[in-house]
Amino acid sequence: MRDRHGLAALFIMPAVFILVMSLALAEPLTAQQTAAYAVLDLDSTPVSRALDDELRAVDAFEKHARAGDEADARRRVEAGEVLFVLVIPQGFARQIDDNRTPTLRVLFDPATPRALQEGFRHRIEAAAIKTWLTRALERLGEEIMLPELRGAVEGVGAPEIVSETTGGDGETFAPPSAVQQNVPAWLIFSMFFVVIPLSAVFIGERQRGTLERLFAQRTPFGLVLAGKFAPFVLINQAQTVVMAAIGRWVVPLCGGEAFTLPDGGQAIASLWLVSLAVSAAAVGWALFIASIAQSSEQATVLGGAGNIIMGTIGGIMVPRFVMPAAMQPWTRLSPMDWALEGFHQALLRQGGFIDVLPAASALVCFGFFALMAAVFLGRRARN
Amino acid sequence: MIQIDRLHYRYRAASPPALDGVSLDIGRGSVYGLLGPNGAGKTTLISLLAGLRPLQEGGITLDGEPLALWRAAHPTAIALVPQDYAFYSMLTVAENLDFFAGVQGFPRRQRREHCAAALAFACLEAVAGRLAGELSGGLRRRLNLAIGLTGAPDLLLLDEPTVGVDPQSRRFLLDAVKRFAAAGGTVLYTSHYMEEVEAVCDKVAIIDDGKVLLAGTLAGMKYGGAAALRLELARPLPEALAADWRGRFPEMETAKTTVAFPEFAADALAPIFSELAAFGVAVEQMEYGAPNLEQVFMQLTRHSLRD
Repeated sequence: MRDRHGLAALFIMPAVFILVMSLALAEPLTAQQTAAYAVLDLDSTPVSRALDDELRAVDAFEKHARAGDEADARRRVEAGEVLFVLVIPQGFARQIDDNRTPTLRVLFDPATPRALQEGFRHRIEAAAIKTWLTRALERLGEEIMLPELRGAVEGVGAPEIVSETTGGDGETFAPPSAVQQNVPAWLIFSMFFVVIPLSAVFIGERQRGTLERLFAQRTPFGLVLAGKFAPFVLINQAQTVVMAAIGRWVVPLCGGEAFTLPDGGQAIASLWLVSLAVSAAAVGWALFIASIAQSSEQATVLGGAGNIIMGTIGGIMVPRFVMPAAMQPWTRLSPMDWALEGFHQALLRQGGFIDVLPAASALVCFGFFALMAAVFLGRRARN
Repeated sequence: MIQIDRLHYRYRAASPPALDGVSLDIGRGSVYGLLGPNGAGKTTLISLLAGLRPLQEGGITLDGEPLALWRAAHPTAIALVPQDYAFYSMLTVAENLDFFAGVQGFPRRQRREHCAAALAFACLEAVAGRLAGELSGGLRRRLNLAIGLTGAPDLLLLDEPTVGVDPQSRRFLLDAVKRFAAAGGTVLYTSHYMEEVEAVCDKVAIIDDGKVLLAGTLAGMKYGGAAALRLELARPLPEALAADWRGRFPEMETAKTTVAFPEFAADALAPIFSELAAFGVAVEQMEYGAPNLEQVFMQLTRHSLRD
């Protein structure tokens, strides 16, 4: 407990990550995505202008500008003035009237994420279909002398779609904000970083003969381990409280959203259970690293690199839902993913003990097997 | 107090034995020196006595009881003082003593008494509140020893307890070891400093390659050996005289102007000086007498480097 620098690192590192990442990811994770765009209308017919008007009504599209020609359109995209330019080809209206399929081109900034490109493309497609349908009804109305048909789709917008996540009891909840994602993620990451001070203590004891002295004094090995386990579990729990407080009160002061804890004692108890399970996994992992490392420098490298790999795979650095579908199953390999899943169960889905039990059990098992490996390696080294 | 009987120990089945039939008899209230080059088997022997490793072959008895039974009856009676500073530098001197006394399971009052006694024994009262990591080398050595005394042991296993300290601290530590033995405690003392062993030990065993090469009292070891003679001459020994002496002293060794006799009787000294004078050879330097502990040690363990 007197290693003030080591302790400070265990609290300052996640605090900085939570602050920075919650603010940095606030837009991409929570805000409505809007895009500035331009239209290059090479057809200049009522039909092409109707398409232009349809796009203007889409909430996700923020700014409407007209490009003079294709060179101007490309310049606007490259300069970052707009995210994309819709090119309506010459003869667009005539192709619709001739029952041919017109080709609409969209010029995108190459840095635009593919998922975003697809989203915008689908919105343009919807607007184009509505324009085509309006024109088709208008022509049909002219043919059957029923001009009112044209108005059949006027004023009809696409149905509003609201994204929600569902809880186990059938209630619905808002999607997680950046701070709800980042507080547990960086808390888990920092809890696993007890590997560095703990392994330094353990290796120091081994190298200086303190462990030999303790064993010569017939100190039970369980007591030696408990002497490491208890203080670091306490530190982990203090990390949990401090990081939740930072998310709750400090992040809003910096302009981010406030971290919210679940309502009800059972969800809070579940959260605590997950936090204890993460401690068990982290301390077991630290003792395993301490038993395979020959020096504290080696433990720092092995433990630090191991944590970063677990964090990268486990959705700490990049949230799992942002990863491509093919990568998402791989996150299950990391104990940090199990921990994040446990926290999400309690935090986002208001889960009870039963809901967090799979994640908590997996973490405790991981800690137990890591501890057993450490004991085995320790005994082998002594003999 | 301690009978070590034909002890064998191997770290791996196929490896050479770390201990190969070691037998020693260590009396209560004595300081027993254990000498040997690096890798000789000293640390293995200490580990077995401390109960850190299981016995494989042979036996150790204390007061006639097998080691395991004796330890079970007297759990804190053997204390190991490792060569390194085996304590917590982030804790104060008093906290270290309290911690190591605490893990031995003493009741609070007895723990306090043991800690106070250990603190006084090592004269550490003045630095009781200081962090162990801030102490000088000498004070750290004293704390290392004091921690070993928190269990009020009967047997103290000291592994090179004076490495890296100034002469004053070394003197203090040696006196402390003597005081412990004078109060009835038994000490097994390993060191590479021969003068320390000569100053503090009653009996000594020299071990190498896992075997006891020599064991006994210091007096017997130093003075029981035959006297040796070494002459440094002004010029090489004349060939005629050398041939005569080789006949009379077959173990004689010569090298340039040096002549050495591993065993030489005192009554033969006067005749060889007369013969040298007759050949006109002056003697520049002469050494005669029984070898000291270091010479015995080097002679037994040979001179080659071990690491």
